[in-house]
Amino acid sequence: MNSNIPIRLGEPIQEHGMLFVRTDGILETMVKAPLILASLIIVTVAMPIQTSFSSIRILDLTIYSDGTTHVSAKIEVDPLEPNFELDLFGQSIDNFIAVDDSGYLLSQEIVKDKAIIDTFGLSNIIIDYDTYDLISKEGRTWTFTFDSPSDYTLLMPKNSVIVGMSGLPSNMKLVDEQTKLDLPAGLSEINYVFGTINPTPEIPNESSFNYINAIIIGGSITAIVTGVVLILKRKQSKSSQLILHADSISNNQIESKPIESKPIETETIFNLRPEMREDDKAIIKFISDKGGQVLESELRKKFLQPRTTMWRAVKRLERLGVIEIDKKDLQNLVKLKKDLEEEK
Amino acid sequence: MKQITLCVLFILISSLVLNGITTTAQAETDLSMLLKITKHAQKQLESQINQDSSDKIKQLFKEGTQEIEALEKSLINNDSDLAKKHFLLAMKIFKELSQQLTDNQSTQTTMTNNTLQDPSTELLRLQKYVDNLRSIAKKYNATISFSELDTLFVTAKNQITDKQFDDVLQTISKIKQITINLNNEIRSYSSQQEQSRATEYAQKYLEQLDRLIENAKNQGISENIIQKLETTRDDLSLATDPHDIIKQIREIISIKEQFELTKNDRLESRIMQIEKTLLELSNSEKLNQTELDDSKKTLQTIKDHMVNGDFETANELLRSLVTLLEQFRD
Repeated sequence: MNSNIPIRLGEPIQEHGMLFVRTDGILETMVKAPLILASLIIVTVAMPIQTSFSSIRILDLTIYSDGTTHVSAKIEVDPLEPNFELDLFGQSIDNFIAVDDSGYLLSQEIVKDKAIIDTFGLSNIIIDYDTYDLISKEGRTWTFTFDSPSDYTLLMPKNSVIVGMSGLPSNMKLVDEQTKLDLPAGLSEINYVFGTINPTPEIPNESSFNYINAIIIGGSITAIVTGVVLILKRKQSKSSQLILHADSISNNQIESKPIESKPIETETIFNLRPEMREDDKAIIKFISDKGGQVLESELRKKFLQPRTTMWRAVKRLERLGVIEIDKKDLQNLVKLKKDLEEEK
Repeated sequence: MKQITLCVLFILISSLVLNGITTTAQAETDLSMLLKITKHAQKQLESQINQDSSDKIKQLFKEGTQEIEALEKSLINNDSDLAKKHFLLAMKIFKELSQQLTDNQSTQTTMTNNTLQDPSTELLRLQKYVDNLRSIAKKYNATISFSELDTLFVTAKNQITDKQFDDVLQTISKIKQITINLNNEIRSYSSQQEQSRATEYAQKYLEQLDRLIENAKNQGISENIIQKLETTRDDLSLATDPHDIIKQIREIISIKEQFELTKNDRLESRIMQIEKTLLELSNSEKLNQTELDDSKKTLQTIKDHMVNGDFETANELLRSLVTLLEQFRD
């Protein structure tokens, strides 16, 4: 290898013509390598320093169901500056808090869409606030519009379904039944509606088919079917002991219906239970619309109620004898009673 | 020499290009998730379409579905560019479809209307804010009672359960008023700490200012500018109130900008940041004692170079130290 170098760049080139001499000096005369080198060094040196001041390290947004957005950010600030002027995402700001890395409160003043925070040599600050200006609503459709200075995460409200998106998310996952998106810096528009469909649609994926799951599901279905058959048989034997022919016919009719048979009309229930509260009636209506049985978690989602509140409502309805509570996969299954008239 | 130059050029260009590639790779999208989003939207919109829906709505739904099918095919063929294109087209169509449905189904706004009437969300946000204040108060060991607020939150929740929305609004108003008072109380605790932080910061700034004045003298900067800097330095050393400290430092910054003396500020800022990072790392035990001592020694060398006006060497050393510490930080 070394022996080839003088042949290509050495004597023969200089001996046989000016063309090679020019080529030899082209770096200095035309390309100006030192200049490029210096520029590149400056760019490389400046890059990490320029990007390290007043940059957002973490930005998390949470959209609430009323159209407000909670902003939470960790920002690297210039430790040489006594205070830091923060551009807020909107002018309608609520519940603003700025703290240092250790969680100590920082003084701040908000003027329109800017917050001036006294940092006194801090390198990082953490800010939290709610803004009303990132979301608009037209009809049923809510629109989140945000021109982000950095990559960020966006937690969508519970029960929301994205129906429009102007850009590509870099990731998506489910956090406590809420969709969390990782979005890149820049302008994003996301349209969403509130729906009743579960936010994780099952997408068939042959490659990831899980036989163990299939066995478990299959086993559960078999167990449920067996259980239903046993219950039906037991009811059948009870009914056969009844002397009244009419009653036995009636029982047979009930048995012949599938388990998901249509429950009694909600109006009938309301007539039989006139003392029922209006909000409880809404729950009964919802259960009825869902075929007579729903999980308690679905009720919480639908009516945006905390666990204890919904539990109280369900127990209230149970006391009225309108519903019964069963267990399904460690969850409460709330079912409309089918024998309400008899009790009355 | 030429070969060395070319080699350095090559390394620099390669590092810049590789850096770009890494960034792009990090931003790469998990494409299967795009299908999930579109399918979910499709399912939701399908549930809102019925036989009475207009032809345009039905046509849009059909087009959206076709885009999803095309997206699915692109994913099978590993054609990410085409998949992204179909995703964006599907979402554009579904957005229009959603708007069309809104126009047609103005009566179906019960859910959102309920949400607007229901102050649960406002209460939830207030609760989070109060929780933040509570943890801050704890930091200061402040003897502030949150019991009244806690009771009001329970009352508001019960009122929401009973759909007594007018009463809830009154309770929320009370919560807000108490929160303002609590905030002021916490601020009285934090002001003491702020005072000492401001003084400490002013002290550090004075050290930096001394270095700047020294360098200015060495560089032959006019006596008038040095005089101005020295006057503001004396004013700053006398300031004790945080607002006065800010005012004085702003004045110094203004003088520095006026006479173009800010070129070393970035280096100074970086040094301060490195000091903080070192402190963080030493607390988190990510650095062992030897590494910590070495880093501190390097930082001191950087400061010495700064005092001597050797900014290039200081900058070089600083960059090496930053790279090293970033590795530990990650």
